Amino acid sequence: MLASIDEVTDGTVLLGETVARLLEYVVPAFADVATLDTISHEGVFRRIGSRVEGPGREELEKGLLRRRPVPEAPIGLPAALASGESQLIERMTDEHLRAIAADEADFELLRALELRSTLDVPLVARGRIVGALACGVGTSGRDYGPEDLRFAEVLSARLALALDNASLSAAVSGLELRLEATLTNLAEAVIVRDAAARIVFANPAAARLLGVASANEITEALPGSLMALYDVFDERGRRLELSDLPSAIVARGEEAGPLLVRNVVRATGQQRWLLHKATPVFDRDGSLAIVVSVIEDLTEVKRAELAQRLLAEAGHALSASLEYHQSLQRVAELAVPGLADRCQVLLHVDDEGLEQVAAAGAAPDREAPEPGEARPAATDELSVAIEAVESAEARLAGRVIAAPLALAGQPPIGAIFLAMDRSGRTFDESDLVLASELGQRAAIAVENARLYAERSEIAATLQRSLLPPELPVIPGFRLAGFYQAAGEQNEVGGDFYDAFAVRGGWMVVVGDVAGRGAEAAALTSLSRYTLRTAGKLLGDPVATLEQLNAALRQGSGLSLVSVCCALLRDVDDEAKAELVLAGHPPALHLRAGRPEPAGVFAPFLGAYERGEWTPVTIHLEPGDQLVLYTDGVIDTVGEDERFGEDRLIAALRGASGAGDAVARIEDAVRSFARGPQADDIAVIAVERLSGAG
Amino acid sequence: MRRASHLSLELQRIGDASVVSARGDIDLSTVAKAAEAIAAARANRGSVYLDLREVGFMDTSGLRLIIEEQQHTAAHGYGFRVFPGPPNVQRLFDIAGLAGDEGLFADPSRLPSAGGSG
Repeated sequence: MLASIDEVTDGTVLLGETVARLLEYVVPAFADVATLDTISHEGVFRRIGSRVEGPGREELEKGLLRRRPVPEAPIGLPAALASGESQLIERMTDEHLRAIAADEADFELLRALELRSTLDVPLVARGRIVGALACGVGTSGRDYGPEDLRFAEVLSARLALALDNASLSAAVSGLELRLEATLTNLAEAVIVRDAAARIVFANPAAARLLGVASANEITEALPGSLMALYDVFDERGRRLELSDLPSAIVARGEEAGPLLVRNVVRATGQQRWLLHKATPVFDRDGSLAIVVSVIEDLTEVKRAELAQRLLAEAGHALSASLEYHQSLQRVAELAVPGLADRCQVLLHVDDEGLEQVAAAGAAPDREAPEPGEARPAATDELSVAIEAVESAEARLAGRVIAAPLALAGQPPIGAIFLAMDRSGRTFDESDLVLASELGQRAAIAVENARLYAERSEIAATLQRSLLPPELPVIPGFRLAGFYQAAGEQNEVGGDFYDAFAVRGGWMVVVGDVAGRGAEAAALTSLSRYTLRTAGKLLGDPVATLEQLNAALRQGSGLSLVSVCCALLRDVDDEAKAELVLAGHPPALHLRAGRPEPAGVFAPFLGAYERGEWTPVTIHLEPGDQLVLYTDGVIDTVGEDERFGEDRLIAALRGASGAGDAVARIEDAVRSFARGPQADDIAVIAVERLSGAG
Repeated sequence: MRRASHLSLELQRIGDASVVSARGDIDLSTVAKAAEAIAAARANRGSVYLDLREVGFMDTSGLRLIIEEQQHTAAHGYGFRVFPGPPNVQRLFDIAGLAGDEGLFADPSRLPSAGGSG
């Protein structure tokens, strides 16, 4: 019997089955009646089996199964449980029965068992009372004696072990079931490999992330065959093998931190960003038992991060230069390979259709275009781009995306075109959104560049209109002039010169408007035309300047203009110049090649309501020159210092005529200057010709 | 290589007055900075002085700033004066017909602890 019981205790059989088989061995071989009880870790009593031999057994078994021993009873089962010691009742009497019966009905049940002797043995396993075995004989005519007790104790030891094992397995399988349920429902993929790297468990999330139909496909795969389904790259684009993944590293006994990979399913081109983590689990003897891998899908997060970065870099590239061809080329290069294998930017050119202005990532059957080279887009893809432009909406067609280049509410000016060729990846909705955003930013850059170019054109036109078309021919005099605007092409100069006929003579002026840009240009324009008009009407330098002063005072803010104005008169062959300065450096009168400053200092025009401007009269003899210039000449920045008035005088010394005077100033300034200059230069020279005009 | 324009400014309170001491160049590229400093001095509501003694170069943009400030303070009833700069700076005032403007220039030694260069 003991051998049979051992058999039972060895297997991982369910508890109920174990109990039934155990009791079969006990009844009727050793007892006519037996019950088996367990006490859980928490001390909960449970009757798990009862068996009766003889007629009416079913009734009796049921009754016994329902029965609970009365805890306070001094004998029998309760006593055994309480004391941990076996209890033998050799001769059962009604008094015994009454002592253990709960009530009258219970008493009747016990009597029906016709018990003569009882044995109650606590079952102890691993130091704990795990239950009790109660045996009774009567109907078979046997009695129990001390030898039976000893046997029962041996028996109980085996039973205790059997029960403990059985209940442990039950506990474990219960635990296993709960664990499996948890793993199945996790969003993260869990893959468990054994020490030989075979996959022993995979949950449904793993199947989803790896793009296979079910978890079974994973567990049934041959080691290494799974890896063949994917192209795996690290963040930098380096291709990875199975041995690079954390699970393999950990299996080799090394430590591995989390690894972010780009996983592309070869069959479908579907791409995911996965974070791999692996943890080893060791046996009690320290050897590797299993490797648990957890894989998190970070695709959304990673996509958002890449999209942000791409848009930020594209924004940078687009605002870095007004040369939009360069910027668009940079954007196309940024998009490859992160967003697509190939990127082209197409623009509408003069109502003609779309021309390619930027491209990156060559098409498999074509060579890469030169940067900036405009080329018609390939016919098979052109239709998608045209659709995007006509509908003003981004379009996704197979492995191609076209997004319009458009500002909000305006018709598109072109399209950005993305394609997947070699890599086998595919696009999805979020790529479409990103392409639209890129298209919008590119459109802004192109529009800005065009507006800027237009503005430059306007400014240049304006600037050209502010220069005197040509210096007039004044009888008896020769004029020469020189103009140099500082600053960018689109900045209109603030200096001007002019020469025009007035009643009784000619007026020659040079002027300087402080500042740059459109405002200064407007002021320059105002000044020049006011001087012209007033000069022609009034014929008097001081009165002319007073007019300009009044006009400037009418504007809002403080507009300051400095002017040097000379009225040339030829009366009876005598040439005179009436010279007035307003906030202006002196003119230089050259006689016999010797420059002398001329003019009286007076306030800027536009500074005060009323000002006093004082004319001086200069007699111009044949060969004399009168040179008017703006402070840009003397403020010219050189290596260590400014040009200055002394250098100007030195440069003019010995000048032979108007042309020579102007040329000397130009040369001297050019060779002195270092680096870009901040101020414009205007010079006008008047030479009195010899021989009456 | 030529040196770039450079301007450094210091604002000092001396009693009720604010003194803006300029060192370097006041030209188109630095005049905005100077304007800011003067505006800050203005906010102190006392007399404002612009010290040009350490200014190496000034052009019409600086002059314009000074004329503007002069007119503003006259309209608002507080004083604005300039400590004269070196000869090439003063030349500019000459050209603008402001050389004789006694109301514009001040003697730095007249102001307590404003004398001496920074």
